Order: sequence, then C-alpha cells, then structure tokens
Amino acid sequence: MTPEQITLVQSSFERLGPQLPGMATRFYQELFSRDPAVRPLFTTPLAQQEVKFADKLTEIVRAMPRLDELLTHTRALGARHAGYGVRAAHYQTLGDALLAALAAALGDDFDAPTREAWALAYNLVAETMLEGAATARLAGS
Amino acid sequence: MLAGVAVTLPRWPIVGRRPELEVFERALGSGELAGLVIHGRAGVGKTRLADECRQQAAAAGHPTERVAGSRTTALVPLGAVAALLAGGLGRPGPDGQAGTVALFEQTRRGLHERHDGRRLVTVADDVSLLDAASLALVGYLAGQGTIFLVATVRTGEPVPDLVTSLWRDGRLERVDLEDLSRAHLDTLLHLALGGPLEAGAGREFWEVTRGNPLYVRELVLGGLESGALAERSGVWHLEGRLPSTTRLLDLVGQRIGQLPAEARSVVELLALCQPLDLGYLEATAPCGVLESLERAGLVTIAVADQEVRLAHPLHGQVVRAAMPRSRARAILLAQADRLQASAPVPGPAALRVAMWRLDAGGRPDPAVLIRGAHLARYAHDFRVVRRLIEAVPGDQLDAAGALLLGEALYELGVFDAADRILARGQQLPSSEHVALRLAVTRAKNAQWGLCQPEAALAINAAARAVITSAPLAEELVADEASVLTFSGHPGRALAVLDRLAGGDRRTRVVRAIAAAPALAVTGRTAEAVTVAEAGYADHVALGDELAIAHPAMHLINQVFALSEAGRLAEAEQLARAGTEVAASSRVPIAQIFFAVNLGRVATLQGRMATARRYYAEAVGVAQASHFAGPRRVALSGLALADAMLGDADAAAQALAERATGPAFGFRGPEQQLADAWTAVASQRPAEAAQQLRDAAAQAASTGHRTAESWLLHDLMRTSGQDTSARLRDLAGACDSPLVSARARHGAAARARDARELAGAAADFEALGALLLAAEAAAGAAEAFRRDGDQRAATAAAHRSTALAAACEGTVTPGLFHAAAPVPLTGREREIVMLAAAGMASKDIAERLYLSVRTVNNHLQHAYTKLGVSGRGGLAQALGSPP
Repeated sequence: MTPEQITLVQSSFERLGPQLPGMATRFYQELFSRDPAVRPLFTTPLAQQEVKFADKLTEIVRAMPRLDELLTHTRALGARHAGYGVRAAHYQTLGDALLAALAAALGDDFDAPTREAWALAYNLVAETMLEGAATARLAGS
Repeated sequence: MLAGVAVTLPRWPIVGRRPELEVFERALGSGELAGLVIHGRAGVGKTRLADECRQQAAAAGHPTERVAGSRTTALVPLGAVAALLAGGLGRPGPDGQAGTVALFEQTRRGLHERHDGRRLVTVADDVSLLDAASLALVGYLAGQGTIFLVATVRTGEPVPDLVTSLWRDGRLERVDLEDLSRAHLDTLLHLALGGPLEAGAGREFWEVTRGNPLYVRELVLGGLESGALAERSGVWHLEGRLPSTTRLLDLVGQRIGQLPAEARSVVELLALCQPLDLGYLEATAPCGVLESLERAGLVTIAVADQEVRLAHPLHGQVVRAAMPRSRARAILLAQADRLQASAPVPGPAALRVAMWRLDAGGRPDPAVLIRGAHLARYAHDFRVVRRLIEAVPGDQLDAAGALLLGEALYELGVFDAADRILARGQQLPSSEHVALRLAVTRAKNAQWGLCQPEAALAINAAARAVITSAPLAEELVADEASVLTFSGHPGRALAVLDRLAGGDRRTRVVRAIAAAPALAVTGRTAEAVTVAEAGYADHVALGDELAIAHPAMHLINQVFALSEAGRLAEAEQLARAGTEVAASSRVPIAQIFFAVNLGRVATLQGRMATARRYYAEAVGVAQASHFAGPRRVALSGLALADAMLGDADAAAQALAERATGPAFGFRGPEQQLADAWTAVASQRPAEAAQQLRDAAAQAASTGHRTAESWLLHDLMRTSGQDTSARLRDLAGACDSPLVSARARHGAAARARDARELAGAAADFEALGALLLAAEAAAGAAEAFRRDGDQRAATAAAHRSTALAAACEGTVTPGLFHAAAPVPLTGREREIVMLAAAGMASKDIAERLYLSVRTVNNHLQHAYTKLGVSGRGGLAQALGSPP
C-alpha cells in the first residue's frame, strides 16, 4: 500500500461515523447471502457479533500505518478465527462482503481509488490473519 | 555490498499461498495420501512453499527431512537421499548382487524405528533431478506410508514416473502455483519491507516482475544492498528504476557477482557440494560471513539438522555456470579428501566422495565405484553404471564388475565393447554364478546386439563345457534353446528343451522365454499361452536379477502366442498394457517388440494404417537403441504395411533400409511377406509368388507352421494358386482357429464353393481378421454369381464392401472380386489392375510379355463386363477410390 492509500482507508472510515453499526449489520447480511453455510460458524448473538466486528475494524484501521501494531492485532484475530473453523477459502467471501457493505454505506464517496485502497488493506489483513491462524492451529495440534 | 546491508530482514514472508498450505495440511492429516506435488515455473515459489510445508509439519510434531536433486547429484546413485539411508547401502550377496528390495526394506524399517512409526515428511525439491535410484527409493517409501512426500516439479522438466504413478493411483495431491496477483504482490512488498511503499515504486515492481516471487525477492534484496530501496520517514522509496530488461538469471548472477571473495567462496562450495555441515562451515569461513549470507537471503541454515544449503536452486545453477573448471575441480577434490577422512566407508557419504572425485577427474576408490554401479543397476540407470565402472582402473576390475559393465554396454547399444569386456570378464577368476552370467550375457549380446547367432551358440557351448553343477548347467541348456528360438530354429529349440528335466526357478524362467515363441510358431498355441503366463509369474517372483531378460519378455511372448491362436483382441489388449510397463522401466527391446506385435495384430486384423503406425514406432525405438535385429523385424512389418496400403515406393524404401542391416533369423520366413507384398504392390506378381513359395519352403524346413500357413494363404490370395492341400495339413498340425480358417478358405476357393467361402468369411470375421473376411466374402459373391444366385451374390458383395471399409484403405487383389458385377478371367483381372493403377498398355504389355494388341483386347472385354467406357471408370468399378 502507498501512504496515500492508507490515509484514504482511514479517512473514508472516519466518514462512516454514526453509520458504522449499520455497516456492520449490512456486512453480515452480505456475508450470509453470499455463503449461507458460514452462518452456523457464528455462535454469539448477531447483534453482539456486530458490535465486536465494528470495534475490531476500528482498531485495525487505526493501526494501519504501523505494521508491527497491525500484525499484533491481525495475527491474534486470525488465531481466534482458526478455532472457529474459518479457512483460506472463506476470506475471499469475507472481503467481498466487506467491500459491498462499505459501498452501501459510503455511496458516492466509495469511488474507485477508495475501493482499491480498501481491497489492498483487506488483502494485507487477511494474509496476516491467515498466518496467525496457521501458527495457532499448529501450536494447538 | 554485502557489508552495507542496512536492515536485517525478517523471514521472507509467504503471501498468497494459504489455500495451498491448507491443501498440504489436509493431505498430511488424511492418512491415505502419500504426498503433495507442487508444479510451477522457475521462481514461482515452489521451494519456498515446500519448505513452509516442512516447517508446518515440524511445528505439528512430525519428523521432517529434505532431499534435493540437482544437475550435479543427478548422476550419483542414491546421492540425493543419503539422509534417508541411515543403515548404509546394504551388502552384496554371494552372487555379487545386493537386492534392491532388501536395501529399500532395510531403509524403511530403519526410518520406522527411528521415528516411532510417525511418517517422515520429506521435501524432495526439484524431484525431476533426483537420480533414478533415489526416485525408486522415495517412491517405495511413499507408497509404504513411511514418508509423506512433498515434491516440487519445475514446469518443462519431465515428471518422474514415481510422481505420475502415485498420482494415477490417487495417492498424491497436486497444486499448481501461479505468479502472484497485483494485490498479493502489494501485500508481499508491504510485509517484506515492513511499511508502505510509494506509489511509483509499487507500479514499477509490478511491471518488471509481473508477480514472480523470486524475481521480487531478488530485486528487493538487491535494492536493499545497493541502497536503491531506502526508507524515509516510514515510507519506502525507489531511487531510480528497477533493471527492467534483466532476466531473472542475470539478476541472480549480478547479485552473486557482487559478493566479497570470502562469501563467494562459501557460495561456490555449496553450489558444488551442498548440503554442508554448519559446524564445518563456521570453522572454515571467516566470522560473520555465514550470517551475512543468510541475511542476504542467499543461504538457508536448517537448525534441526545443522545443514547449510543455498536458498534457491537457481543460485547454484548460476554459480556453477560461472565457475572455472579448474576451480570446481580443486573444490571437489578438497571436499572429497575432507569427507573421506571423516566418513566411515562404505556409507552413502563414500559414494558422494567417489562422485566428487570423478567429477574432478580424480581417482575414486574402486570398491566404492563398483558398489555405486550396483545401486545404479537396480534403477536400470545404465548410463551411470557405465560411467562408474569405466572409472575403475583396468587392473582392479573383477569379473563381477566386468559383468555389470558388459550388461550396461549391451543395454546402451554398444555391442562390440560389450563383447570385449564380457570376454575379458570370462578370463578373470570368478564364482560359477558370475561365470554363468558372463556367458549368458555375452551370448545375448552376440545374438541380439551383434546379430551373430552362431557366435552365441559357440559361447553357450564353451560355457556348458566348464559349468557343470546342476542348476547352472540346466540354465545353460535353457539358454541354448533361447538362442535357437530367437534365431529362427523353433524345432531345434524344442528338441533341446526336451533334454531339460528340472531346473530351479531361474532356469524355468529362461526355459519359458525360449519355449513360448517356439511352441507358438510350431502351432501349439494354447500351450504357448500357458507357458508364457507361468513364466511371467515365475519371473516376477524371481525379482530383478542380472543377466536375464526383463519380465516383459513373457508378456511379449504371450501376446505373440495369443495372436497365433487367433485371439487377436486379447493380444491387442495385453500388448497395450505391456507397452506402458516397458516404457516406464526403460527397456527398449521390450518397447520395440510390444510395438512390433501391436503392428502384427493390426496386420492380421487388416487395419493396415494402424499397423503402419506401430511398425514405424518400433523402427524408431530400434534405431535409437541400436538394436539392428529387431529393427529388421520392424522394417519388414513397415514395408508389408506400406505395400498393402498400395504405397509401393514407401515399401521399397523400407526394404532398402532393411538391407543396410544384418540378417536376423527370428521369424525369418514371416519377414519375407514384406518382399512378396512389395512385389505385389509394384505389379510384379510372378516375383511375389516365387518369394512366397520360397519362404513357405523355408518355414516348413525350420518348423514355422503358423508362418507357413500365412505364407501359403497369401500365395493363394495374391496369385490364385491352389495351396489348399498343404493348408489343410497345417490346420491339422496346429491348434489355431486362424490356421484352420485359412485352410477352409483355401479349400473353398479351390472348389469354388460359394457357401464354404461365405463360411470362411464368417470364421475370419469372428476372429477379427476383417481383411481376410472381406476377401473371402468377395470370393463368395463371385461364386454365388457364377452359380446364378444373384441375391446371395449381392448380399455377399455388400458384406465384403462393409468389411473392407474397416480396413483403413488397404488394397489387395482379393478385394477386387467384390465390386466386379461380372467375373473377370485371371488375365483380365491382372491387366485391369495394372491399368487401374495408371499403367499404359505398352508398359503392361512389356511387363506381362504380351503384345499391346492382346492387352487392349483384354481391356475391351473387361470394360464390357464391368460396364465402363474406358480406363477412367476402372478404379471406381473395382471399388477403390477414383
């Protein structure tokens, strides 16, 4: 990512402001419509899950300029998800759902450069979550 | 410069490969799969992914190991898998051989015990470059579940049989690696550099590398060293441009070329002799060099087994290519001295030492060379056997070594040299076992290689005079019969075998090889099939021994026996299966004979275009492997096929090529079908008839009953000459329905018995001999017509046309009956055929010693009978394409 793309991710995220909970709700709708099979992987009530998702996303977006800090968050997050049975194939769907939810929430502000910045940010997060997941599975097995 | 590396890189990240790693994880966990194979282009990250798999496995508590092929170790038998051979190389038995099975089984048990029965996850990097013996061992261990194989195969390299056969059995997972996507490249750079990259630099990396991970890695590491990649306030910048026109290999070369001298020495040492012991390198290289090389991403240090190797195969390739020969030689000799001083002989390390010395042009220990040659022999790697034994000084070569070399030279098609070395081996003191094998191999070389059956018989007789103890003497008798069978004397071969009472398993195997074809050609086809089947079973139980034919020879014999028994479909099926075995175990003589037999079956079926293809393939393999005798058999088949397809020129050319080689007696009478049919295709019927008569007489005198039947039947087919009496006698002496059908056809044609001709056509059709069926049906049509039964005539003619349509464009005189509405006289038919082939009346007249006027008269009669107005309509009226 370029420094400009990191800034773009952060500024567009700030612009969400009070729409963040709505975006979180939309994210799960998008996810389950794309892959109904993942629904049973979530055991906590959905409302609670949405709050957790929004909090985590906020942490990650803030840490984006500092790689070490970002990795601490994403690896730990990946490790937890490994335990839920999330695999590499799911990450593609998760990314699509996130971009769709952001597009719905941001409307015209979600232009092509913003979209590309988010896509790269998500790829970075997903790869490092998967790395954390692999490490955790091996330690646990 | 190396010293100027400013940043310490974290472990080079792996990006975009999680799905593949999960495939590995599942495959390893399944318990049923034997391994994973990773395909992809150079630099796509196969080695990296394989090593990551290994690390994951180690973290999960699996024992792991790494073996790697390279162009330098590809010639060392078991050189690549020394790490697996804790138990040494096994010991030779009393006959000078050490069983592969014993060595493999010993290794398997050793690994099983060492790792408490847990599977050893074994990375085989660049598996295509493993030597043949290593591949065989790895395949065995993976098949047994002792190791879980993670193999990499570079696109464009041949995929070893071990991989394809495990894959076919559904025991391998496969992943195909592609270059990274734009997004993955971005993430990789972000993680490798530890922070964001300015926009222009990211684009530049994508345009230059197109996502090839090794390229990215080399450019990043090179850029860091040179300072072209630099960090300013948390953002990475690229000063200037990336070397966009450079190829990957040049790039690697540049980076290595910039190393300081002491670091370069370490890299060169590893390029020739890796892996090397960490302790040794630390003791010899100046302080800090290894660390900086590791930091620069040029070497990897495996902590578990304390081994150091180059980080990527391409690094070794580049370094070896650039190294002066004298320098490589000095390094190899120095390492050989060092390892010899420290390693117990004769372990795998000793073999490495021997090969290093050999590469350096030095003098390795002869005992180790001979041991290595035995190992290579297990894998049928005769090139390596030859290389190793030829390095043994002449005065130190023993009889067993001469046997190994002689066999290798024979297999490699160097027959004169093989004869010399085997003869020399016979002069050296040896056990009776080795003496027997020297004699048998030398006789085989004389017969199949030099095409001198008389010499083979003399070698056999000389050996029988000195080797007299029971099982060995019996084997020699069986071998004498084998020489007789394959030089065209089946009758004499069977008489010799009658002298043979018992014999051990080995003798039974040799006996079966000699007996099956002899029985088949003399007409005892059912017995021949049984003998070949039993011989194969005995041979498989015997294992892979020296100085004996390949087990596939029994399958070939069985194919031949089945076709002589008229069981054409079964013969074809077995030959197809056998072809695969022969190709994968690299036995050219078997490949040739499977192809020849497939051509022969197709010929009997009347599928001449197919036959031509198989014969051409056999000629190709025979040519490449220098087998002149089998080449002759194959060229005979090729000429026959060409002639029956009507291509007289091609047939004559095949015969001319055949004439450049020596005579070869095996199936000698049958080979002359080619001459006769070429004469037929060239419109020289009298010559064809004479050749068929001579060949049939020769077949009669040597006991080739099935061939005699074929020859006499073809004489009748091509000239109309009556051979029915002898065909009937042969049918009585043979148990083959094919021979019987020919006799029925002969008798029916003689009697012009329409119903019997139709019956013979049905017999042929039931056997799958469609061309013969078509000809008999054509004859039936003509006979029905003569009898005035127009309806039956039309039906038979239709039948004939339908059958002939399956014969792939074959043109024989017998097919011309079918389309003719009115019978032509023999002379008319002869002239019409020549005219239809485009010959002018004047030339026809010359050919047949007639006047031009007579020829034209005959033609006029024929036009009237055929209902055509001139030459233009002849071809169509005769049923061949205009």
